[in-house]
Amino acid sequence: MPEEIYSQLMKELSEGKYVFTGELEPEKAGNVNEPIAAARDLIGLVTACNVTDNPQSFAYVSSLAASYKIELETGMECVYQLRCSDRNRMALLSDVLGAGTLGIKNILALAGDHVALGDSPDTKPVFDLDSTTLIHMIRKIVDEGKDLGGKEIEDPPKLHVGGAAAPGAAHLKSEVAKVKRKINVGVEYLQTQVVYYPEILDKFFTELGPVDVPILVGIFPAKSFGAADFFDKYVAGVDVPPDYLANLKKTKEIKDKEERKAEVDRVNVEFFTDFLEYLKGTPAAGCHMMAVGYPRIIGPLKKVME
Amino acid sequence: MIAQEQKPIEEILGYLEGKENVVLLGCGGCATFYHTGDKKAVDDLAAKLKSAGKTVTKISMPLGMQACDTEKSAIFLQKEKSAVENCNAILVMSCGDGVQVVTEYVDDEMGLAKSVIPANDAIGLVGGGPFKFKETCQSCGMCELGKTAGICPLTACGKGLMNGPCGGVRVDDKCEIDPEKDCAWVKIYKRMEKLGELDEFIAMRAPHEWSKCKRPRLFELEEPMGMMDMMGAMMNFNTITGYMSMMLAKPPEKEEEK
Repeated sequence: MPEEIYSQLMKELSEGKYVFTGELEPEKAGNVNEPIAAARDLIGLVTACNVTDNPQSFAYVSSLAASYKIELETGMECVYQLRCSDRNRMALLSDVLGAGTLGIKNILALAGDHVALGDSPDTKPVFDLDSTTLIHMIRKIVDEGKDLGGKEIEDPPKLHVGGAAAPGAAHLKSEVAKVKRKINVGVEYLQTQVVYYPEILDKFFTELGPVDVPILVGIFPAKSFGAADFFDKYVAGVDVPPDYLANLKKTKEIKDKEERKAEVDRVNVEFFTDFLEYLKGTPAAGCHMMAVGYPRIIGPLKKVME
Repeated sequence: MIAQEQKPIEEILGYLEGKENVVLLGCGGCATFYHTGDKKAVDDLAAKLKSAGKTVTKISMPLGMQACDTEKSAIFLQKEKSAVENCNAILVMSCGDGVQVVTEYVDDEMGLAKSVIPANDAIGLVGGGPFKFKETCQSCGMCELGKTAGICPLTACGKGLMNGPCGGVRVDDKCEIDPEKDCAWVKIYKRMEKLGELDEFIAMRAPHEWSKCKRPRLFELEEPMGMMDMMGAMMNFNTITGYMSMMLAKPPEKEEEK
């Protein structure tokens, strides 16, 4: 656990409290009205919200600008996601210092999806650093007040750095070795990619063994069949269970919008109640609920854990 | 060697619009090996240009005479000096190095202002063969293979990560951006596991030093290879045994399409 605590997220994790985090997605727009509205709905339900950085390599409002604006207007603590796909080490350093300047207290350091998978596939991919070296750089900035080249940083930012883990990785051993590498370089918390199957998470925790770093397990309650289907088809390392998908598909037949929404909620609560009950018995320190655009489901799901 | 393929004829003809008199220069280096600059390739492309109404002067360069070598290109361009002087464009069937060496020579040494146009797209440094080749080195100027079990992640990993794998490894250990390609980092893991070097896998590798690759890179050789050196290099006992083995070996068979 870190010696100094700068954020509410880190405070609750270090106190051993079971932590919930949410996810907000800036859009392709000249404003962040939608994630601000979603953040307002999540106040009191989650400790902090991740603010995505060009997810799936679709270019949206800068996650730094969005994180700042969301914290300013709603008071929701943000986890500023920062990926290496689009920035070299200089730009990453600038953005980390920028985050400190704007009062951001949590960063999630990610390699990021390849730009070829997104909406501007002709983009030149950067990946000057990777998730591990970005975590290393951030710790060096915060702890030593130095950049990668050892140059002094005046008034270094005070923030925490997290990393990602993929329990469903096709080659688990190399994934776990990478997670250990991130832990060795000083990652302060981990959030996992979406998991649907207990046996996948069990295998991951067994392979990893006991670690000091808190791990928040990712779940994705989908607000519609389309959202779940997209996840299943296009997100690497994630298989959505066919029964859950089929139940969501059936809701498409309901004509009345309110009835359909209620049925989607019922399907999600039914599926995730079992999973969350199971989660209580694992080493997970909390749950990262990636319910983008679906804040109303978080309250009912949290009840399961009470 | 530098793998290359010919551009679509429509693109070539687009560059040649309004340029009726064309010098077509082949290459006796890598382009010959990949059938994109040898005599037959020159003849085939010349025929296409002629049927599109162009007047073509063909210059093919024999094996070992590559367009990217100024001295060698000079010999063949000077041999057809009047055609070069009178043409509207020089179409070069080589990688971009050859095209630019010819551009510089025609500009600076022949004192001519000519359009010099590429006929090929260079794919990169590749190894393997005889049918399938793979880019494994990008000549970055600072080899990392000693830290990665002999597999270059800067080239073989889709993202060029020094500390992979990323979260996108597919079933069968393939890459998230191309199911045809292996995940370089899973391969590195498996090799390190075999070599008993998994501690090295877990250790963080520092970010790559791109300062060793300040473009354009310049390179100087104190003693250029002379004709006698080249002959000496070719006439060696291993040359004979090498060629004999290749002649006696069963010709390679292309893998059956699955």
